[in-house]
Amino acid sequence: MKNGAVHNKEQFLNQIAKSLGRERRTTPVARPQWKHQPQWNVLKNATEDELLDVLGTQCDRIHTRVETTTCLELNNMLTTVIEHFDAKSIVSWDDPRFKEYGINDYYENAGRAGVDVHIWDPSIGEKNIIISERADVGITFADITLAESGTVVLFSDNGKGRSVSLLPTNYIAIIPKSTIVPRMTQATHYIHKMEQENGNVPSCINFISGPSNSADIEMNLVVGVHGPITATYIVVTDR
Amino acid sequence: MKVSLFITCLGDVFYPYVGKDTVEILERLNCEVVFPKNQTCCGQPAYNSGYHKETKDVAKHMIKTFEQSDYIVSPSGSCVTMFHEYVHLFDHDKEWQEKAQSLANRTFEFTQFIVDVLKVENVGASFSKRATYHTSCHMSRLLGVKDAPMKLLENVKGLELSNLPNKEICCGFGGTFSVKMVPISEQMVNEKIEHIEETDAEVLIGADCGCLMNIGGRIERQGKPIKVMHIAQVLNSRG
Amino acid sequence: MPMKIGDVEFFGRVDKGLRNSFMRNAVVSAQERLKGAKLNAAEELGDWEEWRNLSEEIRQHTLENLDYYLEELTENVCKQGGHVFFAQTAEEANEYITRVSKEKKAKKIIKSKSMVTEEISMNDALEALGCEVIESDLGEYILQLDDHDPPSHIVAPALHKNKEQIRETFSEKKGYKKTSKPEELALFAREQLRADFLSADIGITGCNFAVAESGAISLVTNEGNARLSTSLPKTQITVMGMERIVPTWEELDILVSMLCRSAVGQKLTSYITGLIGPKDKGDVDGPEEFHLVILDNGRSNILGTEFQSALHCIRCAACINVCPIYRHIGGHSYGSIYPGPIGAVLSPLLGGYEDYKELPYASSLCAACTEACPVKIPLHDLLVKHRRNIVEEHGKGTFGEKLAMRGFSLAASSPKIFSMGSKSAPTVMSPFIKDGKVKKGPGPIKPWTDIRDFPEPSKQSFREWFKKRDKGGDQ
Repeated sequence: MKNGAVHNKEQFLNQIAKSLGRERRTTPVARPQWKHQPQWNVLKNATEDELLDVLGTQCDRIHTRVETTTCLELNNMLTTVIEHFDAKSIVSWDDPRFKEYGINDYYENAGRAGVDVHIWDPSIGEKNIIISERADVGITFADITLAESGTVVLFSDNGKGRSVSLLPTNYIAIIPKSTIVPRMTQATHYIHKMEQENGNVPSCINFISGPSNSADIEMNLVVGVHGPITATYIVVTDR
Repeated sequence: MKVSLFITCLGDVFYPYVGKDTVEILERLNCEVVFPKNQTCCGQPAYNSGYHKETKDVAKHMIKTFEQSDYIVSPSGSCVTMFHEYVHLFDHDKEWQEKAQSLANRTFEFTQFIVDVLKVENVGASFSKRATYHTSCHMSRLLGVKDAPMKLLENVKGLELSNLPNKEICCGFGGTFSVKMVPISEQMVNEKIEHIEETDAEVLIGADCGCLMNIGGRIERQGKPIKVMHIAQVLNSRG
Repeated sequence: MPMKIGDVEFFGRVDKGLRNSFMRNAVVSAQERLKGAKLNAAEELGDWEEWRNLSEEIRQHTLENLDYYLEELTENVCKQGGHVFFAQTAEEANEYITRVSKEKKAKKIIKSKSMVTEEISMNDALEALGCEVIESDLGEYILQLDDHDPPSHIVAPALHKNKEQIRETFSEKKGYKKTSKPEELALFAREQLRADFLSADIGITGCNFAVAESGAISLVTNEGNARLSTSLPKTQITVMGMERIVPTWEELDILVSMLCRSAVGQKLTSYITGLIGPKDKGDVDGPEEFHLVILDNGRSNILGTEFQSALHCIRCAACINVCPIYRHIGGHSYGSIYPGPIGAVLSPLLGGYEDYKELPYASSLCAACTEACPVKIPLHDLLVKHRRNIVEEHGKGTFGEKLAMRGFSLAASSPKIFSMGSKSAPTVMSPFIKDGKVKKGPGPIKPWTDIRDFPEPSKQSFREWFKKRDKGGDQ
């Protein structure tokens, strides 16, 4: 990729060095070993089941429905959840996990039952966005899940469009139980390692905690503003 | 144990009875109370108004005045906090900073001294009234004395102490703030009095004459039947 | 809209604020609600003080090495194909942003909430160019529709408005026909803005924290508007104050955790988005072009001074939410887009003492702000430092005050004069005393007695009593 342009950097950074009363610092600065590191103590030693409990409790507070199921029962669970939305259209990531978990079969059945199912397809470009905007349901997998805050972490990719978790009215995240970690600390540590090892991270990383909301009108919480109005997490316990 | 009393300006001129009660309680607890007569003011009015050169002169005088004291005790959390502030005042003067630090180490707010140094929580007082306690900002936040007055008051026979709603909110005194920003200060003290009234207390107890002068002065102006007392008065009551 | 709001002088603004009973009730109820939420969120985190210490340590280290981290950020943004513009002033920033907009022939620009773009009056510059600039944060959208009413809180900008006022604004400006129920109002804004998101040429955002190691910017929202602003338009411009940066993703974790908890009592807001340059090759959504504008605008003058810690600020508004002054006078009284304690510290630094000389005095120094600050800015201490600057370096203390303070210092350093003063108090005050109280005081006591009684000086001072009592006299 062509490098971007930079304007006025030298003068600007020189000014900062001058204000700090020293020469420009150009050699790598070692990040210190922070004296206090309480973040690693949160939910330390919690078992997978305990983390799942924490996730469930937190999701109650952030207006997010949590269902647990097994890989075998996953499609039945999807049917139940989506029926509730009376969905006419679904948009989904193109992610190998959908096939691996057998969700493709669900999509085929839904399609036969008259539901428009769209799998994100980079070859049709912006049409994906228009379809997502009109979709009743958007479905993605969680790449990492944070128990403490009820958060799914999503890494963007060609088949993993940003709009799927954003534009549809209802959002569903499929959460393999093994992706659940205590909190954001483990996820950012993972991203940090990814950066160090690959020199690159996805161009968009989303930490999503429930449906969109706002308290801008008289501090009353309104669920569903610019993003989805509902959020549902389906935890697959045997994955 | 020899204790040097720092009476403070307000205590000296307007509320000498608070000083008398302080002396009597300390003596009953087997302290020998002395009064270094060269003491003046802690310098807070000048310091908070930004006149730091002037404050340094005052600070040096007070440091010298109490140089020989083992323990300095004062019935005012705010003035004791100012003694602690001297340390920062002499950030660029090592010699005086050391002296200031030594002064700070030896200086205690009255209730703090009884509970933390003398290790006494029951001073044998009895006072049969419904009361509530005002938490002074400097004493609780900056000096960190929160529990001592409560421990002492809990052991006062007959005292019906109720929790003051929003007790952490400033009463609107703030030294010169109370005369420089009268319209704002007025609203703050009004709200404080509303909360005091909610408790149905007959007496408002505090540990800082500045706050008490503000709240008491406003209560009197409003003609409300709430009595304002310093904690030393309550702790020296036998009725 | 510039940093400065309006031309009314300080006490005029305060008077208006104090008379606005809706605003005052709204602020009180917001403060009460947030107090509980924040307490819970802090408690759940475990050792809150440890978290504050860590956050402070991170901010200190980053600022001490700011030139290095900005350089690392820049390299990484460029590597991804993003452009970086360093703007010394608001004018330079606006010039660059308008230039990009012109090049893109932009007609419609969608914005997600950003204080720094308010600080530089970016909207005015773009509107002068003929662009339609649309605020997409619900609160900002309301204010924009209401003839550009200024924000009164850095997290909840429309805190001073009630739902009935909002309904009227929507109906007058956008033909809204439904009720003043917040759900219906929000749904209407959602529908209105969806069309704008889809048709906007440029998305403009602020930046909560940039991540130097990846050249990332992060955006923290609940509504999802920042995601929309950065997913749909072809060009993205992000404006960041130069101090809003962390070394790596691991520090982002800490500061975002502190921000969400301190601002709204949430563990994390609904959306935390990390964005690295333009979209990847083969991606469908996300910007094709990415511009990062890094702004100084007076910040480097704060670096290296005793006010440096003010740059630790992560704009969570925790200080505002506990401030007893803000509680009564509201945001507009500060006359700056940065209100509350942090506003009283920052506004004079960024905008000068001339415009903001009263703000450092609009504090009882109760230190609730200092206690609340998640990155441990000693806010009340900085206000005292401002006061010192005003009198010692800018000579702005009144003559009478200077004289009084010199007199005070002289007296308080000299026990003889001091005790003479306290001895004479009863005599001096006696003409003003009625029924044991001073109802109308002389000189400096006058403003006190405007609203309160002043006590009568005791006939016998404590020191006289102590000297005369049986047990012993002075040391």
